[in-house]
Amino acid sequence: MALYHRHSALNTMIVERSYSVAKSGRRKSLYGRGNTGAGAAVLFLVILGLLLPGCGLIFDAVELAYPLTRDELSTICAKRQIRVGISVEPFRPFVFSAIYTNEGVRVTGLDVELIREVADALTEHCGGQQPIVPTLHLVRFRDLFLELNEEHLDLFVSSFSGNVPGGTPTGLWLSIPYFHGAGVGAMTHDPEIVEKVRAQFRKQTGRTDTLAAIQEGLSGLTVAVQNRRTPHLYAEANLRNIRLMVCDSLPAAVETKDPHIDVILTQYPILQYVTKRVWPDWQLLERPDGSPLILSRESFSIVTGEQKRRLQWFLNNLLYRLEESGRLAQMRKRWLEEEYAPTRRATNEGLPFEVSKVPDHYDQGQCRMAGGR
Amino acid sequence: MKLPAWLLIVLPFVYLLLWPDLGLAQSHREASERTAHYLTTLLNVGRLIVERHQPLINDPQKGDKGFTPDFFEREAVEEFFRQTSIDLKRPPAQLPALAKELLPILLESSTHVVADAQFVINQRGIGYKNFIPATFGSQAARKFSSRSQVKMKQTTLNPRNVKNQPDTYEERALKQLAAQPSSTGPVTEWLDDGKTLRTVTPIYYSQDCLVCHGDPTGTLDISGYLREGAKEGDLAGAISIQIPLNNP
Repeated sequence: MALYHRHSALNTMIVERSYSVAKSGRRKSLYGRGNTGAGAAVLFLVILGLLLPGCGLIFDAVELAYPLTRDELSTICAKRQIRVGISVEPFRPFVFSAIYTNEGVRVTGLDVELIREVADALTEHCGGQQPIVPTLHLVRFRDLFLELNEEHLDLFVSSFSGNVPGGTPTGLWLSIPYFHGAGVGAMTHDPEIVEKVRAQFRKQTGRTDTLAAIQEGLSGLTVAVQNRRTPHLYAEANLRNIRLMVCDSLPAAVETKDPHIDVILTQYPILQYVTKRVWPDWQLLERPDGSPLILSRESFSIVTGEQKRRLQWFLNNLLYRLEESGRLAQMRKRWLEEEYAPTRRATNEGLPFEVSKVPDHYDQGQCRMAGGR
Repeated sequence: MKLPAWLLIVLPFVYLLLWPDLGLAQSHREASERTAHYLTTLLNVGRLIVERHQPLINDPQKGDKGFTPDFFEREAVEEFFRQTSIDLKRPPAQLPALAKELLPILLESSTHVVADAQFVINQRGIGYKNFIPATFGSQAARKFSSRSQVKMKQTTLNPRNVKNQPDTYEERALKQLAAQPSSTGPVTEWLDDGKTLRTVTPIYYSQDCLVCHGDPTGTLDISGYLREGAKEGDLAGAISIQIPLNNP
């Protein structure tokens, strides 16, 4: 459609030009230099000019059948780089905080390893002569969507889940999952809250109703979520009797002392990692039998713009192949189960990022009370 | 044996012709050696400043740390002056021309490293960021080497960073230094028929280094590497410099 408008504008210019030619032709005849051949040519151009606006539609139709412009994969091959957005807020173990290494600043994590796989596959797709370099843009999570919509990025990978109502902004497309088994989890540093939630499950006779148990268990408590992440949407939709705090990042939620935060909701695998390795004084909410308490089911996908069909198929086929070969399972095991030091992995396998594309003085931000609660 | 008369006449002329060259070569060599010494000192000064501000850099409570490139440069110039009596902003006339040319390049390279690390340094909520003397030194030396004909690197016998692996010469020098007391000065030699100056200046472990490099041996430190069980004063590694005689 945009193309059509562009052609229409071009046609208008041609019409205007034809009109001026016609005017000049008329001027010539007024000066008594009548020339029927020139007059016919002018007339022809005027008629052609009037017909041209319809050509935009014809061009669009031809473009649909036989693309004349370069597709996004060819552009990536030609530029030998893929622009990837990644959240500046750490979602360990998917994305760790940027770290300084002997090679300069680097980021690492499961999502970063996946970006490497995408770049390697693109290198192969583009002939393998020269590597396709992933250019990482560390962007605040809330800005990733804007950056993608404005075509500053080819894709983003940030443990993003779209299978939640309201989770995917319009104009974006989600790949098949690269990480299954995620979902909203909860952590607290108060053992009484752990017990309160368990008690709600124990009260239920017969059929287990997780939503009812969590609604009752968290009733009256202050619950923190990260702005625009799926737990935020979950809490807004399902948890009525809570004081909801919306935070800029997970570390901000952990650090907030006033008001006192009772429970933090975020993606379960992230909570699993941070309660074990980063904030051991926080504990996961669990079911009475000690099994994981996951409030919803989510899977993480790569995100691209809606129109990028060739890139989308490329990504889906790649993810399918990585799942089929066991590579994705291996990656999940490496980052979620193995003992490792992120700094060392950042040094050995981390990716650099565009220093000019990161926010100045990244701050983990703050928390504020959600409106109307 | 009596020398022919013509030879007695020619020899003084030959000596007179060669003497300026020999003298010039000698002064070039001396200038290169002094330049290597000053370059090593300046890299060490940068490492010292990073070490001195390590608690600030690793403070998780603070966002903007104020450890800016300008701040670093001011501190480096002051500390270099304290150690050498040379003001990098107004280099004295007697400073070798080579040093006058290369010291600003190293200072700028070091400042660029601090500039590149600003995002990492100023993250709030993150404690250890791995911006330490070793990583600073590796990057500063690499940036400097890419901008001059002089090769500079940090090296050690068992490096954590494979790019710091010693070459044959450095390995020999490091083994020699390891066998000597910790007050030993640099190993300095002219190689390739006197065309290349090589200096290997030792770095010894201080108490601060032992958090990661000391005991308990074999356990993982904060960055995920095995502690080496080093003691204060042990040889940590060296700063290696190669200067070709025909530099620049």
